[in-house]
Amino acid sequence: MSDHHITPLRTYLVIASCLFFLSGVTVWVSYIDLGSFNIVLAMFVATVKASLVAFFFMHLLWDDKKNLVLFLMSLMFFGIFVVITMIDTEFRGALGFNPETKEPITKRAPFYAQLPLTDTHGYPVDSHDDIHHGDDDHH
Amino acid sequence: MSHDNSSPSFFQHHFHDVEQQYETSKFGMWAFILTEVLTFAGLFVAYIVYRSWYPDMFVGVHKLLDVNKGLLNTVVLITSSLTMALAIWAIQKNLKKLSIFMLTATFVFALAFLGVKYQEYHHKYEVGQLPGKYYSYMGPEVVEVIKDQDKIDLYTRTKNVYFDAETNRFYKTMNNPHIFFSIYFVMTGLHGLHVAIGMGLIAWLIYSTARGKIHHKYYTPMEMIGIFWHLVDLIWIYLFPLFYLIG
Repeated sequence: MSDHHITPLRTYLVIASCLFFLSGVTVWVSYIDLGSFNIVLAMFVATVKASLVAFFFMHLLWDDKKNLVLFLMSLMFFGIFVVITMIDTEFRGALGFNPETKEPITKRAPFYAQLPLTDTHGYPVDSHDDIHHGDDDHH
Repeated sequence: MSHDNSSPSFFQHHFHDVEQQYETSKFGMWAFILTEVLTFAGLFVAYIVYRSWYPDMFVGVHKLLDVNKGLLNTVVLITSSLTMALAIWAIQKNLKKLSIFMLTATFVFALAFLGVKYQEYHHKYEVGQLPGKYYSYMGPEVVEVIKDQDKIDLYTRTKNVYFDAETNRFYKTMNNPHIFFSIYFVMTGLHGLHVAIGMGLIAWLIYSTARGKIHHKYYTPMEMIGIFWHLVDLIWIYLFPLFYLIG
């Protein structure tokens, strides 16, 4: 056991500093509006951070490569999972046989109709004096 | 090393030598990590599918989460990952006391993570930002009461307005915010469970190291639990931007 690779202390400290720095960067960038590029950038930074953790903290860089292959396989199967699922969910109703299935997102869960409006603390607010649409039946 | 009486006490007879025993343990651990990644993969797929269906709702509702608490937890978890790595470094260098100190620090940071998480959950419970049918938060961030007739016409055309006949009230709401909180609670909840399990394992490591069962010649359990702990950190690295930092 004693002949295992011992990662130098300095490496750990440098990697940890990089992780702290990148955490700051990803928060800072999220306040800049880049449209749909925001999510791409956030995932890119997260992947750089995850790689640093996997290669240095989890010692994959110095390990037998079979461990790295196992880890990459899990990510590959995750990719297959995403693609096959989205082939379904992104193209529902696209063939036009059943138009109702096309836009599931415009439907709203029925229980929202029963919920009273609340303030920021979650307490119901009586907003009857706010809303007047015609003279109506409410008391 | 052969099967003779000079074998160390931790050596199990069905392995060829100590090195093979170590490598086998590590390969087994990575097979477990693979199943862990795939467990979370199902939840990440749920996130991706629902976010592609409700892009505006996700962007709007995520503002109800506290970025500062999320960043604090990110820093806490990265620090705990560092102390875990240093505990292994210390035991490799035969620095037993430093190793125990680093493990204890890891345990304390894990506890801090769960403390912050508890505060967040408690606040959401208080205001009703809960998953599924338990959701009851209809505050100004998610509901806009509409009085202007032009706006009503516009939103009715775009199917974005809801009329509540009982209170005779028109309002526009982010569509189905309870879905965001369902995914938020399940993903961070399963991650929190992993933190709690990791704390139990680290406590056992502290005990074993103090008793001398883990030392610089045999630290396989510490290396394996370290890999598990870094995986917990790795998953949080993705959860943090996906929930707290949406564009």
